[in-house]
Parts: sequence; structure tokens; C-alpha cells
Amino acid sequence: MKRGGRSYVTSPPSFSNDAKKLLVCTGNTVSVFSAATGLQITSLEGHTAPVTTLIVVPASSPAQKILCYCWTASLDGTIRHWDFSGPELLKTIDAQLPIYSMVIPSLLSEPQQIDKRRELSGKLVAYVSVEDISVVNQGSKELRGHIRRFNLAKSRIPRGDTLKETAEPESIVISPSGEFFGIRHKCKIHIWDVPSGGSRHAVSRKMTLHHTKVINDFAFHPTERVIAAGDVTGRVLIWRGFGNRKLALGNQKKKVRAMVDLDNAGVRGEDDAESCTTWHWHSAEVNVLNFSSDGAYLYSGGREGVLVVWQLDTGKKKFLPRIGSPLLYFMWSPDPTLSSVVCADNQIHLLKMPSMEILRTISGIKPPPSLPRMYEGLASTVAFDRSSGIAALCTENYCVQLYNLLNDRGISEIQVCERNHQPGDEITVVVTAVALSLDGSVMSTTEVKLPEDGIGGLVSLKFWASEPDSKTFTLSTIVYEPHRDAGVSAIVFHPTRSMAVSTSFGGDFKIWVCNSDKNQTDKDSSWICHAVGSYKKKPMTAAAFSGDGTVMAVAAENVITLWNPDKNILLSVLGSTLTPITKLCFAGKSEFLVAASHIPRPELSVWNTSKLSLSWSYGLRIEAVTSAVDSSAFAVLAVIPKTFKTDESKENIFRGRDGAILLFNGSDPKPVSIWTVMKARGGSISFLEGDKSQLRLAYVNGSHEYVVFDPNSDESHERSAVDYYGLAGLEETGDAGYTSLYGQLPDYDKKRMEDVESLGTPFVSSERPWETIFSGSTLNFPPLQKLCAEFFESLMEKRTAVVE
Amino acid sequence: MEEELRVRLNDHQVSKVFPVKPKSTAKPVSESETPESRYWSSFKNHSTPNLVSSVAALAFSPVHPHSLAVAHSATVSLFSSQSLSSSRRFSFRDVVSSVCFRSDGALFAACDLSGVVQVFDIKERMALRTLRSHSAPARFVKYPVQDKLHLVSGGDDGVVKYWDVAGATVISDLLGHKDYVRCGDCSPVNDSMLVTGSYDHTVKVWDARVHTSNWIAEINHGLPVEDVVYLPSGGMIATAGGNSVKVWDLIGGGKMVCSMESHNKTVTSLRVARMESAESRLVSVALDGYMKVFDYGRAKVTYSMRFPAPLMSLGLSPDGSTRVIGGSNGMVFAGKKKVRDVVGGQKKSLNLWSLISDVDESRRRALRPTYFRYFQRGQSEKPSKDDYLVKEKKGLKLTRHDKLLKKFRHKEALVSVLEEKKPANVVAVMEELVARRKLMKCVSNMEEGELGMLLGFLQRYCTVQRYSGLLMGLTKKVLETRAEDIKGKNEFKGLLRNLKREVNQEIRIQQSLLEIQGVIAPLMRIAGRS
Repeated sequence: MKRGGRSYVTSPPSFSNDAKKLLVCTGNTVSVFSAATGLQITSLEGHTAPVTTLIVVPASSPAQKILCYCWTASLDGTIRHWDFSGPELLKTIDAQLPIYSMVIPSLLSEPQQIDKRRELSGKLVAYVSVEDISVVNQGSKELRGHIRRFNLAKSRIPRGDTLKETAEPESIVISPSGEFFGIRHKCKIHIWDVPSGGSRHAVSRKMTLHHTKVINDFAFHPTERVIAAGDVTGRVLIWRGFGNRKLALGNQKKKVRAMVDLDNAGVRGEDDAESCTTWHWHSAEVNVLNFSSDGAYLYSGGREGVLVVWQLDTGKKKFLPRIGSPLLYFMWSPDPTLSSVVCADNQIHLLKMPSMEILRTISGIKPPPSLPRMYEGLASTVAFDRSSGIAALCTENYCVQLYNLLNDRGISEIQVCERNHQPGDEITVVVTAVALSLDGSVMSTTEVKLPEDGIGGLVSLKFWASEPDSKTFTLSTIVYEPHRDAGVSAIVFHPTRSMAVSTSFGGDFKIWVCNSDKNQTDKDSSWICHAVGSYKKKPMTAAAFSGDGTVMAVAAENVITLWNPDKNILLSVLGSTLTPITKLCFAGKSEFLVAASHIPRPELSVWNTSKLSLSWSYGLRIEAVTSAVDSSAFAVLAVIPKTFKTDESKENIFRGRDGAILLFNGSDPKPVSIWTVMKARGGSISFLEGDKSQLRLAYVNGSHEYVVFDPNSDESHERSAVDYYGLAGLEETGDAGYTSLYGQLPDYDKKRMEDVESLGTPFVSSERPWETIFSGSTLNFPPLQKLCAEFFESLMEKRTAVVE
Repeated sequence: MEEELRVRLNDHQVSKVFPVKPKSTAKPVSESETPESRYWSSFKNHSTPNLVSSVAALAFSPVHPHSLAVAHSATVSLFSSQSLSSSRRFSFRDVVSSVCFRSDGALFAACDLSGVVQVFDIKERMALRTLRSHSAPARFVKYPVQDKLHLVSGGDDGVVKYWDVAGATVISDLLGHKDYVRCGDCSPVNDSMLVTGSYDHTVKVWDARVHTSNWIAEINHGLPVEDVVYLPSGGMIATAGGNSVKVWDLIGGGKMVCSMESHNKTVTSLRVARMESAESRLVSVALDGYMKVFDYGRAKVTYSMRFPAPLMSLGLSPDGSTRVIGGSNGMVFAGKKKVRDVVGGQKKSLNLWSLISDVDESRRRALRPTYFRYFQRGQSEKPSKDDYLVKEKKGLKLTRHDKLLKKFRHKEALVSVLEEKKPANVVAVMEELVARRKLMKCVSNMEEGELGMLLGFLQRYCTVQRYSGLLMGLTKKVLETRAEDIKGKNEFKGLLRNLKREVNQEIRIQQSLLEIQGVIAPLMRIAGRS
């Protein structure tokens, strides 16, 4: 089983001391990438919840540069100390509260004594931002976010050391010198100084800077008392000489002019700063602020996707424009020629420094694009190359990203629409669908230009041919307005020949053929329309080819029409479903046809095309359907109905999972196995048939995290790999319990079916008393009356669910 | 300094600059792209003096420089094949029907409708020999391919005559045709073998050595035969009659190999053309004005070209550089192409001789760092074979409207592209503006003169099918939003009137199309049912 598609951008990455490695928080693990190749070297595994903070212990002398120690903090409430060259876990400290941010000032201020300190280890002090739910009751005004001081030697955070309480946990920013740290809180910045090392009980002093707008991010100057802050309107504020009065060192306190506020220009109210200047270039919020290591430049970036370099003394600017995605973090490395910028589209760009060229990109899986309402639930923005395990994903910036699911690595990106994406602009052009032929040699995309005031809308269909060696595609044919001005609802490729069918909302479908065989050369190959068909002018919403390609099924609203694709003859029409069909799929080489529809009433139905009759159906909302090529197995991704999920007793079973993958075999209405998954909405599934003739199932969820697993492998293996990673959790259920005891059920409603399944499934939960109460010593058995009541109660609940 | 830095930064970008491009238009499916069609369309049109009457026959001299004899009215004009200008005229008593060069190109024979066959020296005005024997108009005359002493002719009296030119006497009368003999050809492999075609639908094969005056073989074309040619192998012939061209296998007993019936009117002339790839094609011209190239090996028409007149005769120079077609109205459609073979051959032969000296010279000329001239090499210095070439990155050329769009000066971009008068570009810029949601703003910001320009453009192109999807909607919007500016202005009156007329016309076209669809749809349905 392979998991991947993790977000690289949940928290800032960090360079190792020799700048050859880049550490990135990826969900529950920390991945270590090589800066030279952009490939993953290793990962630190151990946390059981997303890692939020990563601190690489800085080197104080050149000899120490090879040292690879880091601290991590996670939402699971632990702080861990690692040697990431190993990788090896050195130490675990249990803080017992989810940690959102952590700084360790003493690592920065007195690095030369670190090793000694670590041995003494009594004085390594961290400041953490935690969420304390224990104090918060419903409706009380107690604040959840706490900034606390924490001695890394002790394992419990003392309550007394709370510095500040906020409504939400805030992230802590520390100055590069380790003298100050602070948090932003709405329109204010709170700054504390770090009490000098010797005094253990010294209290840190606090000061506050005010602004009129909500502050998004701020940074400390490495050497001087300068703070830069960016707000939501795009302004960058620079306070110089902050804290001269309040945070002055003890012996100098007397010398500071007491209350002589002569000309601290731009400083608001009673704030303790010498001056405040404002720079305004960004048009939208500023998310990234960072001083260069020598303090001469300030880097800023925001939603526009432009990295701006300000010369701090003069205010002059340089730009790295058109990054194409909102910037999230900017990190400089110990190597002055290297830095990295992290974008919201899950990309980490490594920059060559003085010239700001993008050297290399660590490319994560890109998040899905936002589609126009009309295409939601219909368009397939993810396509799979079954043989090589490559997924083609539509992205926001008019590209199709090719992502290798087996290696968890981005391969390339194909510019579908020749435009530059500007994040934050109104969406006017969208790539709505992508399809790959079965052998992966041809790709097809559709894009929509949304009209302005009803004029200038354009739908175009593109066919791409793959380059023989490199895994990219080159444009072969553009078809403008393939179905006049109507949108394309689906594209499907013929399983064996170069033929494709596109269906439209305008009531017709077109069969396209490639005429490359005529003039042999690949360069000249182009796709031309072979046939046009329609059925009673009904909108065509889905299409599918049978396993051998002799029959094509096209859904015309709520009937299924079967065609001969070569001669374009209507073979027959399958009886109507209740609601418009959105997905069609033949179950492998068998004669069964799977149809799914969801608006307004969800339905999954399986039709027998030889008898032209309905085999069985469930009332389930289906997000995706896939079938194996050789066998008659097919799998559907179903969204678990709300009424069913909100049921009290099952709350714990699903643990936030909203979908299930059901694996069926042929016409059998009883699923072979069921897995529950998260974020099923907008997800997609596909079988992958590798070279080893090993059948695997790939599931990509709504936020493009994915898992590839073997649907036929034994349960225990699945179970062991499951569950520690909460984001795309999976559980094998198999057919145990009721179904295995009583055999196949008649054609029943899905809800009941689900109940039965969940009853019999071997979940690891103590919430289900009828499983655990019988285990253990008979002495511990509760009295029989109670036992019976509890057992029957669990059964009774199911029945009530059915009544609903 | 800052500007410079910015330029340098722009060199490397995550995403590139995409200039506004018009939508690509549909290409004809592979037609213009085959090597065959490239060969035939590479004949560049060459203007020739217009001859007054129908061009009855064309013949090229078999030797270089392949001068051309054109038979029209009662004259034969000699043209030089280089400049295609008339150099000499020979006049006859009646309309000339056929002309043919001798194998050495020094003499040519021509026959006229008075039944006389005359032989001329191309350098002299007077006829060398006058052969009188045909009792009716003579229709064709031919020299055997290599033989210099004999001639073949045929005419409306149905007799084919084999002449001894020197003595001006008929060696044999080949009798057998029951109608006018219109055409004939001599075998390329045997000087005494010949075929003749007649209006009695038959093609007869003769051997001049046999004096029994009986034909060896007979082929029935099925229609009056207009032209007949031997294919280069000598074992096959092609005949033209009616609308069809047929290829026959003589050795195989006169079986038909294939036929081509893509002409719509009578095929008048046939020639065999030799392509660059040493393949042969059959070229035919017909009264429907089409020249067709027929690949008889694959039984396929590979090229077709239309001329604005009924075509009477066809000539292809032996070196393949010139193609001349004569029309019934006296037009001569000449096409020439550059022949590189001759030059290439010369160069090759030169190289063969001076191979050794060439190598020496290149060794002598190679510059080394020890030479002073090595350091003076300039921009134009050619890289030697083992030099590593560093490719300079090609800058993207941006047009004026692209630059303006890059600076977000939307209205100026639209105005500048309107001035260019390239409708595809204008529509492309408009689409880009739609994608930026700025088109309507541009329209509302336009000044009066610019608005006039826009209206002029809309008036001209809004009914063009390729652009109408966008422009129709835009026209409506422009008229709605700028109504008060347009109303009552004299300069817009004409534009609006024209616009109205265009729209009315378009509506009428659409209506008639709908009517046609109404007629066709039931027919299609019936056809589909059966």
C-alpha cells in the first residue's frame, strides 16, 4: 500500500546546516529532500498527528555543520528530538496539549553552548503555542490559545508560565538573534524579550505594537531592532527601534530618555518605537515576510504570487514575478546562494539567490481547481494511466500535472491553455476535464472560457499525443466549440483503437477518430469527427465503451442508449432511471453496465445489457466508478448519506470519514469489500494494472491526497498499515458478520445494507459494547440484564435508522 | 539599473509570456501536405502571350534546351523553354492539328486539316518535306522514339500511314479503323511498334515491319478515343476517351488494369510525367478545365488542379521543369519550377575531380590559436565540426498590442490592433479582453474616432462565420451601451446603414438555409430508414 500526495505547505520548511538538505513537514512525517536533486532522501516518522513546527539546531562553528539535529512539535502533543542524518529519534517529550507553534530561543542566542546545555538539559527553554480545550467549556469566554513557557527537561507544561491567552492558537515568530519573540493578534503585535540565560526565573517583558488593519505576518531584523509586518490590505510596515524603553537591557534602563517622544514618525499612540514607515506595493494580503540573513533586504510576497525584494535602506524593489500561486513561506539557507519559496499549490521552489532564478522545484501534487457550478460532480479532473500508475490532474493554472502515484513525485506539467495564471483574479478560463486513453498514449482535455456579459464564451476540446520517451504530451488537435456553444460533459476513449467520444449538454455526442494510420507519421496525426449522434435532443451526460469496444453506451439524461461506434447505429435503449445519469462504466468485459446519478435523488444502478434489464440498484451517491479491464470487478466511490452518518452510534465508527469504496464482482449486489475513506467528495478511483498483472486500486480524494492499495490482499496487512495517518484513513471490512452468516441479501435499500455491514465489521473500537463485553474473564461480566439490554439496544438502533 | 535588473530577471520565469494568438484554422486533411501535391503545386505560374485561337497541340523537344512547339490556328510557334517567349513562327495553309519533334530535336513534323504533313528544320522557315497522301484532315503525326527516318500519321480518312520521310513516300497504309483516327503513339522500346486510337472506340496496335497492313492487337475503349500514350515500360498503354482514362496491359493480352473516371467532361490529352522519385504518373487534361495526376500503380488520383478554361492539350518537358497546358480560348497555362538537379550534378562532378585538393585546402585554411587571424574571427565565423555550439535563447517577439496588454493598457491594445486591419488578431485580442473581463469597459471608454473604427470593423466582419459567435453579441452590446454617442452622428450613419444591410442579408441567408434543411431532412430520414 502506498500513500502520498501529502501537502508540503502546512508549515515552513527548513534547511539543514550545510544547505544540502531541505526538511519539509508532510502530514505526520517530516520528509528530507536533497536540495541538489529535489528528490526525497528519507523521512522522520513517529508523530501521530500533523507536524507543525520544525527547528533545525543551528551550527555554531564550521565543524558542526555536519550535525543534523532537529526538534519537531506536533498536534499530537509531543516534542521530539531527531538526528535526521540517520534518521533516528533521540528523545520524546510529551507536552500533552496539541502544539501549534514552538520556538527555542536559546538555540539561536547561545549556540556555542548547545551541546553542553543539552547534557545539562535543564535549561533548554521553549515557548510554545498550544490549544488547551480542557479549560474551555461550552459558551464560556475562556480563551483556547495559550502561549506558554516550557522547560524541555520537564514533561508537563506548568500552568503558571502562560504568557498570553488568545482565542485561537497563534504562531510564534522569533528573531534570528534569539532575543525576542512575538505573536500577531488581530491588529496588534505582542513582543516579549527572552530573559538572559542565567536567570531561570526571570520574567520576560512584553510590549505591543498597534496597527489599524489585521496583521498577517511579521518578521524580526537579524541584528537591529526592526520589525516588518504585512497586513491584509497589502501594506508592509517597518518599525525601527522598537522596545527601546520597555525592553531595554537592565543596566541601560536609566540612560534611556524617559518620556521624550520627539519625532517618532508614524508610530501609533504610545507604542514603543522610534519610527514607522509603510511600503505599499502588494495589491492583496501579504503572507510572506523575511529579512535576508545580513539584514540588508526584506523579502515579501502574498496572494499575487510575486516575490518582492526590498532594499531596506532605500525602499527600492526587485521582483520575481509570475510564480503563479500565492506564496506561503520564504526561507533562506546557510548557503548564501540558495533559498526556497513555498507556494500554495504545493510546490517548493529553490531559488538561486542573487539573481532569483528558479533552480529546481520540489513538486507536490497540486490541489484541484475550482470548477464552474455546472461541471461540479460531472467533470473528471483526474485521469489515470493504468499501466504506469500516472495520474493526470487538472490544476488551477490551466495545466495538467502528470503525477506518478507509485513514486509520489510530480513528473511534468502540460500547459493546456496558453495563459498565465494570476492567483486572486476572477476565474474566467477553466480546464474542466481530462481523459487518458487506456494505453496512456493519448490525452484529451476540455477547457471553458466563461463569457463576459454573455459574449465571448468558448469551449474547446484538445487532443494530445504523448512523446515517446519523455512523459509529456504535445498538442495534436484543437477543436473549437466541439458541440457548438454547449459544454462538454464527458470524454471517453475507446479501449483498443484510437477513437474517442465526447458528449455534450447540448444534446449530441461526437465520435472522434485519429487519422494517423493513413499517413504513418505521428507528427501529422490529427483527430477528426467520425460521427455525430443524438437521442431525442436530450442532454448527453456520460459515455462508456464496453470492454472489447464494440458497444458504446451514452447516457441521455435518464435513459442509456447503446450504439455501434463504427457505424453509428443506435442498437437499443435501456429503460429509464429516476434521475439524470452522471457516470457510466462497463464492468470489465462483462455485459453489465454501471450507471450512477445523484441529482436530485442519488442512485447506483447496474444494468444487464444482454437482457436490457436492471439487475440491481442502491440509493447511494456515487463520486466515481472504475472497472478492471480483465475481470468483471468494479469499484465505486460512494458518499455516505448524511442521515446515516449523524446517527449517534456510528459517529465513532466513521470518525469523520464521509465516503466508502465498495468493490463489487460482476452482477453480485453484495460488495466483496468495503473501505471507508475521508474527503470522498470530488474524489476519484481507478484500478491500476501494473506489469506484474497485479491489480491495485488507486483512490485520490477531494484534496488530492491519494492511496494505492491491493484490493485483494489480506485484511491484517491492511489493518496494520491503516489508521495512523488520519487524513486518508482506510479500513478493510470484508464480508464478515451478517452477510457471511446469512449469505446474499435480496435487493434491498442501501441504508439497511450499510447498517448490516457495519454491524458485522471488525472495527477496533471500544464504543461497540457487544464486542468487548464478552471478552475477558467471566468474573468481569456485567449482570445479564444489562448485557442483554445493551446488546439489543445496539440492534434496535439500526432499525430506527431504517425507518428514517 | 532597476529596469535592467528586471529585464534580466524576466529571462527565467516559472511561467512564460503567451502572446495573443488568433485561433488556428482548420487545415485541409493532409491534402496540401503530401510530397506529390508539393511537387505538382511547385510549378510557378509563368505568364505567356495569349494566343488567339484554340491550342491544338503542344510538343517539347527531346534535347536540351527543350524548346516548345505550340500548334494554334494555322501556325506553329516555337517557344524557348527558359523564358517561354515565342522565338519563331511557321505558318500553314490550314489549322494545325498535331506537332512532333524528331529524337534529335533538329526537325519537327506537323500536320494540318488539309491533310498535309510537313517536316520543318527548327532553324529554317520553309518546309523541308511536304507529305501529301491523306484524303481527309490529318489528325496526328508522330516520329518513332529513336528512328529519324520514318513518320506515322493518321487522319479522318481512317488510314494510318507509315512514311519514309527522305523520299516523301508512304511505306505502308495501315487499314482497319472504321472511323476517324484521332491519336497515336510510338512504342518507347521498339521503333516499329505503334498504337493508334480512333473514334470507332478502338485502339489498334500495329507493327510497321509487317506489311500485311493488319493490326496485331485491338482494344475496345468503349468510347471515342481522344488520346493514347505508351507507358514507359512499353508494355502498357493508357487511353483517354469520353470522361474516362483507362490503362491497359498489352503484353497480358490487352486486359484493362485500371480506369480513372474523375473528369466531368471529355478528356482531351494524356501525358506521362516522370516524378523526382523516378515514379511515373499519368497526367490528363479535359474540357472541364481540370488537370488530374493519376498514379496508375495505386489506381489513385493524387493531384487535381483547376484552370479557368476548357483544356485542349498538354505538354511536359522531358526534364520535368516545365508544364504547359493549352486552353480552347488560346490561353497557354505554363508552369515552371527550378531544377536543381543540373547544378547538383555539376557540383558533384567537380567534387569528384578536386576531392583531394579540397581536403588539402580545408586543412590549410583551418584556423588555429597560433595564427593571428584566429583572434580576429568575427560574428559571421562558421562553427567547425567539433565546436560546441551554445545556442542563444531566442527572444519572444511581441507585437504592439501584446506589449500594451502586458501593461494592462487594454483600450489602447484594442485600438492598436484595430488599426492593423487583421481580423483574426482583432478577434484574438477581444477574446483575451473577455478573459480579463475588460472588453465592455474598453468599449465604454472609447472615444468617438475609435468607436467609428470599431463599428467599421464590426460592420465588416460580424457576419463572417468564423467570428460571428463573438462579434454578433459584441455588436449588440456596443449599440446598446453607446447608443447616445452613436445616435444622430453623421459619420456613423453610413456605418449603421451598412450594418443593418449586412444583418438583413445574413438573416435572409439563414432563412434560405433553413428552407434547404427542411427539404433535405425528410430525405435523409428516409435514407436512414432504408
